[in-house]
Amino acid sequence: MPKKISRREFVQKTIEIGLAVTAGHTLFPPLLRSSNPASAKEAVNLAVVSGNEYARSTAKAVEILGGIEKFVPRKARVALLPNVQRSNPGTFTNPEIVRAVIRLSKQAGASEVNLLSWLAMKNWESTGLAKVAAEEGANLKLFERDEANFKPVPIPAGKTLKEARILSEFYNHDVFINMPITKDHAGNRFTGTMKNLMGLNSPANNRTFHKENWETDAGAIDHLDQCIADLNTVLKPTLCIVDATEFIVTNGPMGPGELLKPHKVIAGVDRVAVDSFCASLWGLKGEEILHIRHGFEHKLGEVNLQNVKMREITL
Amino acid sequence: MSILKGFILFFCAAGTLWAQTHLQELLPRGSELSQWKLQAKPEVFSGEALFNYIDGGAEIYFEYGFRQVLVQDFLDSAGDLISLEIFEMASAESAYGIYSFKRSPEGEPINLDDEAQLADYYLNLWKGNFLVTVTGSNSGEKIREGVLTIGRAVEAKIKGRAEKPDLVTLLPTTGLLEQSVKYFKGQLGLFNSYPFFTADVFVFKQAVKGDYAAGYSLFILEYPDSQSARQRFAEAEKNLRKSERYRDFSAEEGIIQAVDGKGRQIFGSASRKYLLLLVGGEDFQYAKKIFAGVGK
Repeated sequence: MPKKISRREFVQKTIEIGLAVTAGHTLFPPLLRSSNPASAKEAVNLAVVSGNEYARSTAKAVEILGGIEKFVPRKARVALLPNVQRSNPGTFTNPEIVRAVIRLSKQAGASEVNLLSWLAMKNWESTGLAKVAAEEGANLKLFERDEANFKPVPIPAGKTLKEARILSEFYNHDVFINMPITKDHAGNRFTGTMKNLMGLNSPANNRTFHKENWETDAGAIDHLDQCIADLNTVLKPTLCIVDATEFIVTNGPMGPGELLKPHKVIAGVDRVAVDSFCASLWGLKGEEILHIRHGFEHKLGEVNLQNVKMREITL
Repeated sequence: MSILKGFILFFCAAGTLWAQTHLQELLPRGSELSQWKLQAKPEVFSGEALFNYIDGGAEIYFEYGFRQVLVQDFLDSAGDLISLEIFEMASAESAYGIYSFKRSPEGEPINLDDEAQLADYYLNLWKGNFLVTVTGSNSGEKIREGVLTIGRAVEAKIKGRAEKPDLVTLLPTTGLLEQSVKYFKGQLGLFNSYPFFTADVFVFKQAVKGDYAAGYSLFILEYPDSQSARQRFAEAEKNLRKSERYRDFSAEEGIIQAVDGKGRQIFGSASRKYLLLLVGGEDFQYAKKIFAGVGK
C-alpha cells in the first residue's frame, strides 16, 4: 500500500519544496525534463499510426520517434498516467495500448512500471486496466484523496493557478509517460494530454479549476482552461501516447456519447502539438481550444500543425 | 446550542436517507431485468458530490440544475456490462434540458414517456424531473435489448409526466430535425453547441437550438423583455465586428451578417424578447424568411 505521510512530515516536505524553489532548483529530476521542447520554435516530432492492432500501432509510433530507449533508460522508474474515467465506450485509455507501453518500458530495462491514480479501484477494474497491469507485472498504485498524499508545488508561471498539489509518489519516478484518450469535454470541448495531468493533481485542487457555485459563464471555461495550462508548466511528460482509436465526440468526459473511430495511436513529446493534432481529428482547431492556446502561450509547444514535423503511417 | 446542532444533523441525515431511498425505489429488480443481475450496491451522489462521480465534467449538470444521481451496474452470465444512471434534476425543464443536451442527433426515438432515444449502445430517457441514461458496453443486439429492458423498467416506476419548455415550440417545424433540438439554461450548453464568442456576450434566460434538413441551425435566446433582447443584440453586433473569428461583417434591415472561420454564414436579429441567430444560412433574404417564421 502507498505510504501515507503524517501532517508533520507533510509540513516538513512543504518547507523543503519551498526552499528548493527559492534556491532555484527544479522539482523534476533530469530525466523528467530532458525530452521537452525548450521553445515552440524547435522542431517537433509527432507520430501517428493507424491500424486495428492497437498494441502494434503503439510500438510503431514509439519506434518512429526514435524507439523506447530514447525515453526510458535502463533501471528507470516509469510512471504511467492512463485515463480511467469509467467503463463507457470511448472514455478510457484502451487497455491494449497500456499493455504495449508497459511491455516496451520493461524491454527498455525499466526497473519498475507504476500506474498512478487517486481514482477508485472500481474505475480500474471496470475499464480492464487493473487486469492488464496485473498481467504485465506493473504496479497499480492507488491513493486516497487525502491531501496528505499530495505535495504542494508552486507555479511561478501560473496566470490563474498559483499552486498545484501533485501526488507525492509521482516524484519518485525518472520517467513519466502521459497516456490519455482524446475525447470531448462538456466544459472546454476537448480532452487530451494537457487536461489528463489533472489526474496527478489533488481533487481538492482540481475543484478550484472550476468556479465557485459552478458558475458556467464563458469566464468559467477560460478559468478552467487557464488552470490546465498553468498546471502543465510544472508537469512535463517525458512522452505522450494518446489513444485515438475510438472515442466520444459528445457528452464528454464520461459519456455515453457519439463515437468516432479513427483507429489511431499518436505519440509525441510536444503536448501542444499532440493535442492540436488530436483536436483536428474531429474538426476542431488547436487555437479554438482555450487550454491548447494557453499552452502555446506558455511556450509548452507548437499549436500550428504546419510547423510540426509529423510522420503518419497505416499498418 | 448542542440540541439545535443535533436537530440539524438529524434532519440532514434523514434528508439524505430519504433521498437515497427515493431514488432506489426506481431501481428495477428481479424479473423486471430479464437475464441481467445487479452488480454490487447502487451508489448515490448528491449535490457537489457529483464532482467525485463525473471527474472533471460535472458543470453541465449543475448548469441545468442537478439534485442527485443513482448509479447501478448490471451484469449477465457472460460478464457483459450495462450501467444505469438515474439523474434527479431540479425541475422538469432541467431534466428535459440535460436530456436534449445528451441525446444524439443520430439516435432513434423510442416510444416511452415522456421522450426516449436509443443511439448505438445507449439510451437516454426524460420523464418528469428525471433523466435516465442506460449504457451498454457495446452495440451488440443482446446489449441493446438489455439497455431497452432496463430503461423500460425504470420508466414504468417514474410517476408523472411533464411538458417541454414553451420556448421549444417557437422553433419552426418545417424541416426541423427533431432529435437535434437542444434546450439551454446557460452559456456552457450553448458554447458546446456553437461557440459564438469566448466572452459571455449573450447572458440569456433560456435558449433553444434546432438543426434543419436544409443544413442550417437556428438558435432562439430568450430575455426578460424586448429591451434586454435589443441590448444583447447590440452587444452581439459589437463583438461580431471586433472578433477575429468572423469576417465580412454587414448589417441590413436590423439583421447582422458575418462569415465564421469555417466559411459559414452567421445571421442575427432581435425580435420581441428574443435574440435569433442563424448558423449556415444562404443569404440575407433567406435569413429574413427564417426569422419571420419563428413562433408561427
